[in-house]
Amino acid sequence: MGDTEIKDELKYSAEHEWIKVEGDIAIIGITDHAQNALHEITFVEISEVGTVLKANDECGLVESMKASSDLFTPIGGEIVEVNTELEDAPEKINEDCYGEGWLFKIKPSNLEADLAALMDANAYKALIESE
Amino acid sequence: MNSVLTDTLNRTQLYEWHKEHGDIVSFAGWAMPVRFSNIREEHMAVREAVGIFDVSNMLRMWIEGPDSIDFLQTVTTNNVRKLKINGGQYSTCLNENGGTFDDLMLYRIGEEEFIWVTNAANGAKIWAHLEEQAKKFDVKVTDKTKEIAMIAVQGPNALALLGKMSEKDMDEFGRFTCNPLTIAGYDTFLCRTGYTGEAGAEVLVLNCSFSEEGKERATGFWKEILAQGAEFDIKPCGLGARDSTRLEAGFVLYGHELDEETSPIEARIPYAVKFKVEPHYIGYDTVRSHKKEGVKKTRIGFVMIDRGIPREKYPILLNGSEIGMTTSGGISPISNKGIGMGYVPPDTVDVGDIIEIDIKGRHRRAEVTKWPFYDLEKYGETRTA
Repeated sequence: MGDTEIKDELKYSAEHEWIKVEGDIAIIGITDHAQNALHEITFVEISEVGTVLKANDECGLVESMKASSDLFTPIGGEIVEVNTELEDAPEKINEDCYGEGWLFKIKPSNLEADLAALMDANAYKALIESE
Repeated sequence: MNSVLTDTLNRTQLYEWHKEHGDIVSFAGWAMPVRFSNIREEHMAVREAVGIFDVSNMLRMWIEGPDSIDFLQTVTTNNVRKLKINGGQYSTCLNENGGTFDDLMLYRIGEEEFIWVTNAANGAKIWAHLEEQAKKFDVKVTDKTKEIAMIAVQGPNALALLGKMSEKDMDEFGRFTCNPLTIAGYDTFLCRTGYTGEAGAEVLVLNCSFSEEGKERATGFWKEILAQGAEFDIKPCGLGARDSTRLEAGFVLYGHELDEETSPIEARIPYAVKFKVEPHYIGYDTVRSHKKEGVKKTRIGFVMIDRGIPREKYPILLNGSEIGMTTSGGISPISNKGIGMGYVPPDTVDVGDIIEIDIKGRHRRAEVTKWPFYDLEKYGETRTA
């Protein structure tokens, strides 16, 4: 676990997603721990732009060579952008999960309450160390 | 994975090497490597060069005695009497209802001496079945799984590598043969078979018990193949590539395409089933009626047209109505498309027809195809390019 990267400035969900708030938009991706566990990611599908979701709603899936994993949004709101680069290059999630491998952007509908349910970097670190 | 879990699992003679070089997972009661580098690279090494797999977790039984042929013809569906000494045949073992207990390779190494190699997951069940059936015959069944290591060497360079290591012309050993052979000083049986669609062999490395000496011997052989295979671009491969290569080749996997509710005729492996045999094997009447009067379900293969990766147990739809269920699926590293297999009622679809796969509520189009899921001119044992 020693080489798992966790970024101090981000928030984290128990489903191993990271959340970054920029202005009135939240950007969501999966963590280094998650991409390591999934290994070779081969396919990503995310609900369409315009989809309105509550926090913890299912919003797509990530496929690796071995398994299929559902994605759940940690933040409720309307999807305003999906990382279409991942259609042809899903391996970007393995290569740069906190950068070019981001998954989608959401316009939050209940940001304060949703953020309150998430972990900071220290709490997330404790979670993956306990797994 | 944590050590509490792995401590309860069986380990092959090569476990220490796997642990050092690969990612270990639990599979059918065994701690096995899922990958050493990554599944796609290992997969392509098998398709384009050579890969080796530790398959020592498979059950290996010796069957000997004056009644061995009658006994084997009672419990397997291929024609045992047609199996020549130093030959091998793919076969199935059925229950009373014609459902499949297991699929297996049977090799004949003497007048009254055979090797039965079978799925790790079915080991205990098959052992119990054979022990029970053997009571009626003058035959001895011995489990030699923990005396022998088994390493699959697969890919277009596999035979050149084995030829170099054994200083033998591999043309002497045709497909589906099984011969004693000394490879780099190790006594083995060279079985010219495999589970990837590519040329190669499954090598039974003798005198590899689970003692320290046996483990060292098995690991020595494994390292020797890797060293001598360097010039052939060899890669050690894990269970991930084993599953992806067999899926791309369109081979059935027990617990997916085959189970106790499925006959080999439904699974469309007719080459494993013969009818002019004596005595009639267990399950004979059912498979004969499946052959003559038809089946209620049949195996199909498909390639995704729309985006999406099929997995097992996804509904198969035709014109919006559910007609069946997938049994295996994944991505083909060669085509980068989703591929899969499943069961539908007979005569509902033909090759070329468009079906839909329900991928977690999203209906995605796929085309019914033949297997293997690759171009036979470019890949596979009989490639011409």
